[in-house]
Amino acid sequence: MSTPVSATAEFEGGAKPGGPVLPSGSPLAEPQAPHRWRTALRNYLRHPAGMAGLALGVLVFVAGILADVISPGDPFRTVGDPLLPPSGDHLMGTDNLGRDVFDAVIHGARTSMVVVTGVVIIASFIGLTIGIVAGYRGGWVDDLLMRITELFQSVPRFFLVLLIVALFGAGLDNLIYILAITSWPTLARVSRAEVLSVRDRVFVEAARSIGATDRRIVLRHVLPNVLPTALVVIALTGSRIILLEASLSFLGLGDPTVMSWGYLVSNAQRFLRVAWWMSVFPGLAIAVAVLGINLMSDALNDVLASYSKASPRRRRRFRRRSLSAQLPLA
Amino acid sequence: MDRRYVIRRLLQVLPAVASILIVTFVVVHAAPGDPVVAVAGESGDEAYYAFMREKFGLDRPALQQFLTYAGNVLRGDLGVSFVLGQDVSTLIAERVPATLLLMGTALLVSTVGGVVVGALAARRPFGPFDLSVSTGALIGYALPSFWLAQLAMLTIAFRTGWFPIQGMTDARANYTGLAHWGDVAHHLVLPALVLAASEVALISRIARTGILAEMDSDYIRVAQAKGLSASGALFHHALRNALLPVVTVVGTRIGFLFSGAVLVETVFGWPGLGRLVLSAAQTRDHPVLLGMVLVVAFTLVLANLITDLVYSRVDPRIRYR
Amino acid sequence: MKKRLAVAVLAMMLVATACGGDDDGGDAAPDTQSTTPTTAAPARGGTLVVAIGSDPGSLNPAVTSNGGVHTASEMMFNGLVGWSADGKPTPELAQSWTIDGNGTAYNFKLRTGVKWHDGRDFTSDDVKFTFERALLKLHSRTQASMGSAQLTLEAPNPTTVIFRFPNPYAPLLQQLNVTEAPIIPKHIYEGCTDLATVAGCPANKTPVGTGPFKLDSYTIQEIKLVRNPTYFRAGLPYLDGMVQRVIPDVGTQILALENKEIDWVGSVPGPDIERVKKNSAIGTSTAPRGSGGGNCTTTMIFNMKPPAGRTPFFADVRTRQAVWHAIDRNQAFRTVSFSQGKVSAAPINSGITFAAASGLTLPSFDVNRAKTLLDQVGWKDEGGARVARGVANVTDGTKFEIDWHGFAGDQTTYGEQLRGQLSAVGITMQVKTEDNATFSAAVFNRRDFDTGVASYCNGDDPEIGFRRQVDSRQISTTAFSNGAGYSNPDVDRLLDTASREPDPAKRTPLYRELQEQLVKDLPYVWLTESAGLRAFNAGCTGFNHQNTGLFAEAASCKK
Repeated sequence: MSTPVSATAEFEGGAKPGGPVLPSGSPLAEPQAPHRWRTALRNYLRHPAGMAGLALGVLVFVAGILADVISPGDPFRTVGDPLLPPSGDHLMGTDNLGRDVFDAVIHGARTSMVVVTGVVIIASFIGLTIGIVAGYRGGWVDDLLMRITELFQSVPRFFLVLLIVALFGAGLDNLIYILAITSWPTLARVSRAEVLSVRDRVFVEAARSIGATDRRIVLRHVLPNVLPTALVVIALTGSRIILLEASLSFLGLGDPTVMSWGYLVSNAQRFLRVAWWMSVFPGLAIAVAVLGINLMSDALNDVLASYSKASPRRRRRFRRRSLSAQLPLA
Repeated sequence: MDRRYVIRRLLQVLPAVASILIVTFVVVHAAPGDPVVAVAGESGDEAYYAFMREKFGLDRPALQQFLTYAGNVLRGDLGVSFVLGQDVSTLIAERVPATLLLMGTALLVSTVGGVVVGALAARRPFGPFDLSVSTGALIGYALPSFWLAQLAMLTIAFRTGWFPIQGMTDARANYTGLAHWGDVAHHLVLPALVLAASEVALISRIARTGILAEMDSDYIRVAQAKGLSASGALFHHALRNALLPVVTVVGTRIGFLFSGAVLVETVFGWPGLGRLVLSAAQTRDHPVLLGMVLVVAFTLVLANLITDLVYSRVDPRIRYR
Repeated sequence: MKKRLAVAVLAMMLVATACGGDDDGGDAAPDTQSTTPTTAAPARGGTLVVAIGSDPGSLNPAVTSNGGVHTASEMMFNGLVGWSADGKPTPELAQSWTIDGNGTAYNFKLRTGVKWHDGRDFTSDDVKFTFERALLKLHSRTQASMGSAQLTLEAPNPTTVIFRFPNPYAPLLQQLNVTEAPIIPKHIYEGCTDLATVAGCPANKTPVGTGPFKLDSYTIQEIKLVRNPTYFRAGLPYLDGMVQRVIPDVGTQILALENKEIDWVGSVPGPDIERVKKNSAIGTSTAPRGSGGGNCTTTMIFNMKPPAGRTPFFADVRTRQAVWHAIDRNQAFRTVSFSQGKVSAAPINSGITFAAASGLTLPSFDVNRAKTLLDQVGWKDEGGARVARGVANVTDGTKFEIDWHGFAGDQTTYGEQLRGQLSAVGITMQVKTEDNATFSAAVFNRRDFDTGVASYCNGDDPEIGFRRQVDSRQISTTAFSNGAGYSNPDVDRLLDTASREPDPAKRTPLYRELQEQLVKDLPYVWLTESAGLRAFNAGCTGFNHQNTGLFAEAASCKK
């Protein structure tokens, strides 16, 4: 049973999902959601950088999930002589306390994945909800929610995290909550902007005129248009969280009961000249994880968010009314 | 510049400042345990705690405490570090110049470098230079700055001996005047380069994208149709307009530069805020950390204000809502 | 154009900060003659650059035993009496002395013509003031030793000062060097409201002393000292000045030394030791003593007297024995200390030769024995973790989860090693890294801890740095006192007898008996006797490696 929306689209001569032919600013067109996703997926699979990023990301993610399988046991325990170079027995060598660096890196992947997943889930939920409600409702609800968002964006994230860790302690849970709370504002702003650009389109009004409830409109029309850009922002947030968590552990503020890449790099500093492997492998792990996610986010951006590199939509991104709005501050 | 916009924009500073004060106040008071420990540390005795309770009005109702706190902060009193026993504002003020020097240099280098690299890459999109720059940028952006700092110290500083590896000045010499600044510059090179590294990556990408976007627009096409060469179009027209997104980004990167500076200063022994923040974080010296949050937050408000004003002057199409 | 004066200044060891945080050391101040004979007159001039690990915050060594402050400030001051390498007192601010009544009264005749850096004369009033207002009130080692011996001072005339004790006090002369008892000027400090803080005593940042160097400037980056032209030892120092450059990272310190940016590093980190020793441009010297004192033993503290509300994990001696058996001290010695120093064989540091004991039976590394003992006490192994089932004064079901407090740096590495070793027998240990103030507050002030680690520097006499560990009257809130809360009247009695006995030969059996008792009670785990390796520009000579405070007094460097 076709919905009025698709009827409108058909009337327009068939909206080509994701095709560069149709200018995105047309008020009558709404790309078919299911078509668009399928095309996007196909385009993604043909995107070399995106696939590379996906491979890296999956590698790190799987390493994290299967940490106890790949490297069973406590990564903090001594398994060999200290400061051994990489060899058959110890793929990445051992550190100053005779701990296996490979095991440590694998368990570090788990910590990073746990933190990123936790933060992304919480921040996405809060950010999307607030952004969509603010954009859709408009009026005083919008103003209120945006003021609250600004409140959370006003303080530089890195230093706030330092302060909170000093006050509340450095457990993994605390870390996830703190990072999530400082990450959602960007997502809220971006999703709100996307909602605003969709809300007044004719197809939404058409849907409303035939009696579709707000909830249905949001779920069927608004959300699918918000998600692409949101996904890109979420991915970028994820990679920043990895770096942030590594920086905190490097400074000695991470959770001391779990292995972390940042801690490994920090511990390696004294031994840089006698055991380069202690620093190189964890550092590379961080780079690989961040790079992978960045590549994925770039590819998603190319594939989902806009139809051509010089589209008016993209250019508009740079002319915001308030520059401090979109990008996270620190 | 539209005067109404300027005034409006200036007024927007007030809610920003209020937000910062509210957020920090809530955070400090939401901490578990006795709030006096949050301002006075764990090693005080009863007399000291009583004194601090009185000074911060910790027994009074929340609103009054907030007003006391806000008043103190706006007057420049950021509390006392209980680990170092000195005023937080003095501690920070003493170290700001060194960090600003480092950050400013890194900002300058990364902006100029980034724009140049991005422009060169945009000349032949997807050509070999462009691709290697993009890859390099991606990798550079992914590398943690503290790791880069370690590597730089080991490889460049130590192997070549061209640059000193620590400090801001030569410990043995007593340079004055121009020689002193030369000495400082010599010590500044490595830390600034490392700090700029990840920023260059980002800025070159933004510049490149911005330039390419501009190159696609109508006025460029017209100019080219009239006989302007591609490079000429790029450098005379597109670049100028593409600088706008660069300016946008630079303003917001200051926050990242602060945190990057903390990490780089630690490795290179640069006598700035970095060391202070590091030791405060490790010793849980809350007043210093709170002071840093406030100082950086207010700096960002200022930076954004300046960026917006500059932007509005440069791009007349900007209209506030 | 750089003048390279190499006079190594003790770099502040990060470990020594630990050392510094705790005990003392009756550091002997050896003779002022250079330890390496020079054939020609030493070169004059130049600046010695020394690395220190952090900004000390204050430059008054009389009000704290903190190693950082001491390293940064000692060369601006003097003590009354120095201590030579072969264990003999040497005159410093005191020219001569007589001892009455076996040690109940020490009469010092002070040197004349000594001037403070601001030109005023040094007198006995300054000595009286320093002890009464500063050392006895604020310096932990002085408090514990001379304070509990009830020292009183008299200054009958400007060049005489008399130390009186109700009972004979043997080790006074070892405790009067610049590390243990630096003399500060009364006319500068008497107006301070609180000598211990900078806020209450701004002079703490602009010190005035009698020492070979005086303060030129104190910035965030470094502390600049210049030669004192009116130093009472004519001709000294040879250097024009000294700079103490703050370099927080120890690895960077070594790199800077190798890069010729600095001249002295106080403690070479383990991984760099081999490379540094092979470098012909760098000289090394083993330092059994640091700025926090000498003859230091890294010690793990059992909290035997926890406050109400904290589980008394270590009340039973068998539990303490079990922990001893679970720990592999040799492995820790290799990985943490990089085999510098030695594994402790006795409670008292072997550097105090007359009190050292050998052949004591300390529990060996035996994991199975540890597990058996824990079972006996009532800590049953349930799924790899120990749970209390029938342990005296412990609720059934309590898990054996303890915390461990220490400073950052090497001590944290110890903690991580120990954590692994203890988890093998089912004890979960959480490592807490803290700064000096927080550590002291948690461990000594509130006794809110299960275990901790400290470097107790014994000094040259057990009275100075060891007594406080085990004397039940030294259970106090003073930092680095009897942290375990150990109380044994026999031990107290032996300590008292030994402190009043002037003949060292008669003290040896007393200390032996004492240590045998301690080995039965095991209030602490004596881990290792630490010894750092100092590294300095090989073009410099004339260091006094025995004396932390005045080692640069007679140093000079080839240009």
